[in-house]
Amino acid sequence: MKIIHPRPNPIIAAMYTLRDMNVDVVVIHGPAGCGFMASRSLEQAGVRIVTTALSETDLIFGGSEELIKTLKEVDERFNPKTVAVIGTCASMIIGEDMKSSIKRAGLNCTVFPVEVHGCMANNTEGAIKALEAGRDAGIISPEETERQINLMKAATEMEKKRGLASKPYMKPSVGATKLNVCKKICDALSQDKKVAVVLNAKKELAYRFADMFLAVDEARKKLGGEVFFVANLDTEKGLPRIRGYAKNILAQLEDEGVLLNSNTGGLDEYALIGDDLKLPVESFNPDLTVIMGICHAYPDIKEDDILITDQPRQLSNYINSGFPNSVGEISSHSLVMGTDTIIPLETADTLRELVREN
Amino acid sequence: MRRIAIYGKGGIGKSTVSSNISDAISDMGFRVLQIGCDPKADSTKLLMGGKAPDTVLDRMREGNVSLDDVVHDTGRNVFCVECGGPKPGTGCAGRGIIAAFDQLEDLNAIEVIKPDVIIYDVLGDVVCGGFAMPIRNGYAKEVFVVTSGEMMSLYAADNIRQAVEGFGEDGYAEFGGLIQNSRGIDDENEIVDKAASEMNSRVIYRLPRNQAVQDAEAAGMTVVRHAPDSEMAKNYRLLAEEILRKSEDSEGGMRLKK
Repeated sequence: MKIIHPRPNPIIAAMYTLRDMNVDVVVIHGPAGCGFMASRSLEQAGVRIVTTALSETDLIFGGSEELIKTLKEVDERFNPKTVAVIGTCASMIIGEDMKSSIKRAGLNCTVFPVEVHGCMANNTEGAIKALEAGRDAGIISPEETERQINLMKAATEMEKKRGLASKPYMKPSVGATKLNVCKKICDALSQDKKVAVVLNAKKELAYRFADMFLAVDEARKKLGGEVFFVANLDTEKGLPRIRGYAKNILAQLEDEGVLLNSNTGGLDEYALIGDDLKLPVESFNPDLTVIMGICHAYPDIKEDDILITDQPRQLSNYINSGFPNSVGEISSHSLVMGTDTIIPLETADTLRELVREN
Repeated sequence: MRRIAIYGKGGIGKSTVSSNISDAISDMGFRVLQIGCDPKADSTKLLMGGKAPDTVLDRMREGNVSLDDVVHDTGRNVFCVECGGPKPGTGCAGRGIIAAFDQLEDLNAIEVIKPDVIIYDVLGDVVCGGFAMPIRNGYAKEVFVVTSGEMMSLYAADNIRQAVEGFGEDGYAEFGGLIQNSRGIDDENEIVDKAASEMNSRVIYRLPRNQAVQDAEAAGMTVVRHAPDSEMAKNYRLLAEEILRKSEDSEGGMRLKK
């Protein structure tokens, strides 16, 4: 199936993966504007990003001198421990030998190439290339690499079955306001019913969705009812940086007096843990379920479940798949980049406002 | 103005044929511009007395390019341009052809030189979009392919024909036919004729194998200039006439006006 709506980019996926591996500097070997928007967010998260700013003449004559020059400047300016050089459409089409340029630059730190470009079908291919390059450079273990690659493959399958790669075209949607779904939550709690809140977050996005636990707990205190919180915040799974996110969020929830009823799976396991998340929810037997993050990984979603996603196209996918109580937390990704504390969620703030008015 | 592109397998003698045609056409009283489209930049060597001229892309790389730098006047109504390109194994020569053509257009090369005939001498096979540029976008109007009776050279000729026909619907260049540059293999004429008919085309001229070509090359000249009264020079003149007969006059600058 040919998909024509804009898709996540393998180059950007590789850059995010390099961030997860705590690479200090990413050198984009390509045009000055390649990956511009994503670079800004990644810089906020502490990764240094530069480009070799290839010109038309470099495309014709080759960009190896520019890459060598850039690597030397990176070394001088940032004194990094690890540097990744990442391919782009431009440099990969002209067959740049990044490996030999890296060697010729002769930096005293770990520098490795990631041979990716934009035309690799799935963005996860870019992440896999970055993982393999990181493994070959000795910055992640072969075991963790294999685990991550399997997770990436599972995520790709899931997107093909139920997500953004399941239809040839999806229109982005901004969806309904949050008021409607928050009223449903308030009504359920006011009637002393049971509300389950499930977080199946993809990495740093947990920092935003986790706010819903705080808001729902506040609502319960005021309105009554019973709540049940489930999340994929296992602090023993994944790369150190990702574990750190889970630790920070759990500590903040605890500070605010909110405890999870079940904590299953790591923040990178969202594609595989739907069943594990659902199991404890079933025993709670809720009247209303709120699912946040990668909702389509959760099995057998019901028509009256509330789904919260961060992606406008995923939102239209959910609405068109028969889940009218879906809301979008658009632009969440840029809000969470670089944070180490929970970021307010619009749905959560709406619920708070509604509860205070009651 | 006539817009002719000469293609063919590497080493088949495109540059020698192109240069001899250029000199022959100028002898008829026309102004000729030969544009070499090969990173080796050796298309116009025989026209320039063995000198290697500054290329468009080298000048562009230095950031300062004028027509005077890159159009070389031989003083006999033949003007030479070499697109140039990267060292083997680096960069993208195809992109280079595109950039060099854009640069010549920006410099109003055609309006200034006012050639009656442009001859594009293009590297080997159509290896990528860049080397197909002369065929597309209104640069050349007729494409001729130099070939011998050797299989690889005929195979390359057919690839070029396919490329020309692929672009044909857009009203760009047409396939003008084959120029046989004989290698002296057995039944060469029959082999090339057969291949031409399979391509739905024909051989527009057969150049014999002749020592005069090597002699002229050793002197750094075309046969047409080195041995103007020779049998081989006569052959090149007849080929030049045939090419002019088989090509159409068109309006426009670097690209033909539609």
